[in-house]
Amino acid sequence: MKTEITKMLGIRYPIFQGGMAWVSDGHLAAAVSNAGGLGIIGAGSAPGKVVQEEIKKARQLTDKPFGVNIMLMSPEVDEVVDVVCQERVDVVTTGAGNPGKYMQSLEKAGIKVFPIVPTLGLAKRLSRYPIAGIIAEGGEAGGHVGDVSTMVLVALLSREIDVPVIAAGGIADGRGLLAALALGAEGVQLGTVFVCTEECKVHDNYKKAILRAKERSTKVTGKTIKRPVRCIENQLVRKLEKMDREKVSPEEFEIIAAGSLREAVHEGDVEMGSLMAGQSAALVNSIKSVAEVVESIVAEAHQARDRVDNFFKGVGSYV
Amino acid sequence: MTIQERLAGIISEKLGVEPAEVIPEARFIEDLGADSLDIVELIMDLEDEFDLEIPDEEAEKLTTVGEAIKYIESQ
Repeated sequence: MKTEITKMLGIRYPIFQGGMAWVSDGHLAAAVSNAGGLGIIGAGSAPGKVVQEEIKKARQLTDKPFGVNIMLMSPEVDEVVDVVCQERVDVVTTGAGNPGKYMQSLEKAGIKVFPIVPTLGLAKRLSRYPIAGIIAEGGEAGGHVGDVSTMVLVALLSREIDVPVIAAGGIADGRGLLAALALGAEGVQLGTVFVCTEECKVHDNYKKAILRAKERSTKVTGKTIKRPVRCIENQLVRKLEKMDREKVSPEEFEIIAAGSLREAVHEGDVEMGSLMAGQSAALVNSIKSVAEVVESIVAEAHQARDRVDNFFKGVGSYV
Repeated sequence: MTIQERLAGIISEKLGVEPAEVIPEARFIEDLGADSLDIVELIMDLEDEFDLEIPDEEAEKLTTVGEAIKYIESQ
């Protein structure tokens, strides 16, 4: 495929694997880059040193470009920014905040920056900086989320923002890819579907929870502390929902939520672990290799395009 | 109109609070109910209203109405 994004990054398909804390390590990122997409290491709240090791690991496994996602709420963020600049990774995506104050150092290191934004407001603000593109992430996404739907956000940003838009949130297959491109995006970012791959090293229980999930299985908690997070419903989520209703302090919330993502990812605790996943979990029904996921998304997008094309040609529906 | 009055207009509209609540001591997040995305939009509204540019490093430090007033006055 050829879009602004594939040309800019020299990748085969305009498919980013979303950076996921504790989940997307150098191994998964390299697998995605080798499959023709852009793998992204999720720095989460890991210290700079750990992130650096994952970057080095990815470099050993692929000669293709890959990226690092920087979670701006992390206490280690300054250190992680230093590491990615030092390592001169190809791409940085930023999440959960405004990366404005880091833009200068990232730019100086020659890194292409794609901030993840949930609103037009933040996208406009960040357009002042030399960003390579912008990831419009709708509220369907997993982990830290906004509340505007992907459908509206991607169309809006494609219309209003001059840099290439990557659509994220709710996409897990070729129909989603085609729809995003139709809305004006130059690429897509997918997270949840890549958790359910052979190369992803999370606990099997986490993968199984995604396979079982239906369209209403994920819930957003943490709205009262203004840090909304989407996860698959379990005991932890019900507890956090109760805390939301009781409007407990961010500190109390943090005590319960802290470490719960790690519990889910590494220990497979599906009841008290934080099973971060997007609504697209409902679309993920099997565990495949990363290459199979990427190739099937592209093949399916072709089919979906042919089907739509026939409508315009007046041929009728199915191909 | 004073700076505080102009600010009160913008902030009350943006955050859905009464202009009377927009006092210098009011904290955007804790007292006026803003989230980080509201603040980004608010900062840009202030830039338009007062015809100035507020860099992110400065914007980050403006956590109360009073701090915003002081910043605008200093420009």
